[in-house]
Amino acid sequence: MRRGFRIIVFAMVTLVLIFSVWVNAASPPKPKELSIAAVSGVEVRGLKAIAPIWEKETGIKLKIIEYPYASLYEKIVTAFQANVSTFDLIMLDDPWMPKFCSSGWLVPLDKEFGYTKDPDIFQVVYDLGSWPPPRGPVPPGEKGKPRHLYGITLVGNVEIFMYRKDLVPEPKTWAEVLANGKKIHNASKPLYGFVIRGAKGNPVISEFTPILMAFGGRIFDDNWKVVLNSPESIAALKFFAEDLKAISQPGCDAYDAGERAQEVAAGRGAQAEVWPAEVTDIVENPEVSKVVGKMAYTVVPAGPTGVRAPLMGNWLLAIPKASANKHWAYEFITWATSARIQKIYAENGGIPFRRSILMDPELNKKYPLFQAMARSLEAPAQWRPRTQDWFAAEAILGTYVNGTLAGQYKPEEAIAKAAAEIQKYMEEAGYYK
Amino acid sequence: MSLAIKGRQVAERKLAIYLLALPIAFLLSVTVYPLLHTISLSVHDFRTGAFVGTQNFLRAFNDPALVASVRVTVIYVCVAVLSEAVLGLLAAVVINRSVSSPLLRGLIYSVMIVPMVTPSVAAGVIARLIYIPGYGILNYVLRAAGIISRDVLWLSTPSSAMFCVLSVDIWQWTPFVFLVLFAGLTAVPRDIVEAALVDGASGVELFRYVELPFLKNLLLMVVMFRFADTFRVFDHVMALTGGGPGSATEFLSVYLYRIAFKFWNLNYAAAIAIFVVIVASILMYFLGKVLTSEVA
Repeated sequence: MRRGFRIIVFAMVTLVLIFSVWVNAASPPKPKELSIAAVSGVEVRGLKAIAPIWEKETGIKLKIIEYPYASLYEKIVTAFQANVSTFDLIMLDDPWMPKFCSSGWLVPLDKEFGYTKDPDIFQVVYDLGSWPPPRGPVPPGEKGKPRHLYGITLVGNVEIFMYRKDLVPEPKTWAEVLANGKKIHNASKPLYGFVIRGAKGNPVISEFTPILMAFGGRIFDDNWKVVLNSPESIAALKFFAEDLKAISQPGCDAYDAGERAQEVAAGRGAQAEVWPAEVTDIVENPEVSKVVGKMAYTVVPAGPTGVRAPLMGNWLLAIPKASANKHWAYEFITWATSARIQKIYAENGGIPFRRSILMDPELNKKYPLFQAMARSLEAPAQWRPRTQDWFAAEAILGTYVNGTLAGQYKPEEAIAKAAAEIQKYMEEAGYYK
Repeated sequence: MSLAIKGRQVAERKLAIYLLALPIAFLLSVTVYPLLHTISLSVHDFRTGAFVGTQNFLRAFNDPALVASVRVTVIYVCVAVLSEAVLGLLAAVVINRSVSSPLLRGLIYSVMIVPMVTPSVAAGVIARLIYIPGYGILNYVLRAAGIISRDVLWLSTPSSAMFCVLSVDIWQWTPFVFLVLFAGLTAVPRDIVEAALVDGASGVELFRYVELPFLKNLLLMVVMFRFADTFRVFDHVMALTGGGPGSATEFLSVYLYRIAFKFWNLNYAAAIAIFVVIVASILMYFLGKVLTSEVA
């Protein structure tokens, strides 16, 4: 009996040793460093905070190569086109996914490494990192391709709504935003009922899209036909450029994100849409803000359709096909997006994305916007149309919406012209063959 | 000539050719190759890469947005170049006549260099802090002086936005015109000036008949420089207005950027770029002719 027991123990130990040797042999050797292309600015702050911990735990240095937004795209695309292993990992803005995935430049994390979904991560995050997109229109040539997961969010950017809780109640609809604003708007004080980010191009489209969608307007249908020129879109633009503008700061058509946050931080704005970094860096920063403790955060309001449409602007981690250290790059992604590291990441100024971290009561005391971010991601948050041609559509619509705010176009005229130009562009781009 | 000398000359000539080969190859690679590549891009389709001949050029002629950007660019170039030439010339003449201290002149030189060495993007950001409604410095000063009772929306109307972008260019580059013309004025022989003054020439006459003839060549040069430079204005416009409101300050370079890097239609952008080069070259030719005949 005793002899039999010894034999079993011996056999098990032998098996464990053989298995561990086999596993070690299967893992590629550790590289000295992993290089990651990242965007400079607030988005990289959390990554910089967790990099030393990664180095301590694995012995692999994380080399963060920072570029400004436009240069990052250019550098990554150049490296991809040349198929060189310049970067082991990349940080990419979610509107870049269509271009990168349809060009076959990224490693499918589920297929290559067997990534399994984590219930603590919002479904919309997985949807955003998947290609072809699981809902909405799919670009020509991408339909029917097997869907895979190519990126996992690191920076959980999502647009939320902020309001002065000492001045107005929480608005659940855009009509309530307007009613709140009318009650307290006083341009001579000045105290603005709503602060608009209206600068031409991406700024004004980020601001207008949640309103457009809440009113039932859309830019494309599921076959990329331009359906922008609709009564819903015109109603949304009238509400934005006439009603909201009437309770907003003068010259709102020139305002970008930082300037909008400054207006609120200076105590001159009562309500606004906002991105997380504006809150942490300006609105809730006691060094520059007069309204610390006076703000509350919620999901962007619903329109007449009852739909709330917060916009996503996530930054994802992905592995280039030419990466020389795919295994360790994947190890880094799972490590950096784990609940343990995301907490450290959030405590050090990073913008997290996990449900448990965003709902953490302790973190919410310091970052009151987190629960609003969680609710926004759950809404679910909306992504920009999944096409590499989105930037063109955004530039066209962004010019006309900005022009309407500045009084150059009537809403009907702006919507009709923008729709016609986008349609023409999409035709030329081969979407209707 | 001995054979030895002849041989040495041939060897020297060969060496000169070898030494020149590398710089010439480098120059060709950074000038001729990009130009040929741009021409090649302009005659191909941006999606399929198929040869489309003049299609991209014909599209340019029927593009209302391009026409609008040409119109605002022409306004910008004319106003900026004219203002800078007049202000720079005026400042050079006035300071040349009224400031004689070398120390003070040196100080003026130093101060005038500051705008020129300021990066255009930084100049645009500074201008934004001046003109932005709400907390812009200009509105604050005008309100404090009692000139306005409510904010002027400098960046919100086409004409005021144009004024704002022009003001940055004029602030930044009038000193260049001044410095060149000021250097030219210091070269005017003192005895001629004194003779004119003894003959009873007025200030205007002194300028018209003595100083201006000496400055004409320099004036031609700075106008040509400024013309070429303002034609490709980009950085401070992007920082200040982004081409807005609407398309009010969407100059040719800004429109080109939009086509190339928002629409990713590098082929159409190449066609527009070639069109711009041709138009600019024709304008430069005529400008040069007009100014040269003036100088002659």
